[in-house]
Amino acid sequence: MNGIHDLGGMHGFGPIDIDPEQPLFRNDWERRVFALFFGCAPHGFFNLDEFRHAVERMDAAEYLELSYYEHWLHAYETLLVGNGAITAEEYATRCAEIAQEAG
Amino acid sequence: MDILTPDLVPGMLANGATTRVDVDAPLRFKVGDEIVVRNLNPTGHTRLPRYLRGKRGVVEHAHGVFIFPDTHAHHKGEKPQHVYGVRFSMIELWGDGASPRDCCIVDVFDDYMDPL
Repeated sequence: MNGIHDLGGMHGFGPIDIDPEQPLFRNDWERRVFALFFGCAPHGFFNLDEFRHAVERMDAAEYLELSYYEHWLHAYETLLVGNGAITAEEYATRCAEIAQEAG
Repeated sequence: MDILTPDLVPGMLANGATTRVDVDAPLRFKVGDEIVVRNLNPTGHTRLPRYLRGKRGVVEHAHGVFIFPDTHAHHKGEKPQHVYGVRFSMIELWGDGASPRDCCIVDVFDDYMDPL
């Protein structure tokens, strides 16, 4: 698809960060988001290609505003709710519980 | 359904969840062949970057056979096929203002290419 993810050759995004010392994860939650891929994809919840496509189908403005692992999280939400592994209600309920636990 | 156990994790991380498959598929191109990329505008998933459409290149590597993402993403089959490393000159990709010394090698699925 001619999506916002296909940025090759576009101008206006500033320099590419090629610092080899940059951290693998900038926030602790990103480790969990990364690991969740290996907890889902090899077990048939979705495949690598539909995972990528779920990122590509994000709203274009939202895509540009969110970080790399927020794209991943968005894909999990789309796919796992979409294929019925979890319901939107279950997800919203658990998010609210976690928010409450965190105060 | 397989259970994810800790001993499986290093291998998964090392191969990046590869989609390489051990099946035969027609090898339509060989190293040195000149190709042109098809002008494809699918509404679904593709691994063909926009900037390659209609561009001419030369096959540098034959990487082997991989699952075709364009069908696999939509549960339309694995359609295993060869992937080639194709060299494109920067002038071909970006016009006369680009460096004549530079090139870009992109991995391209068989379905994206025609012989030139």
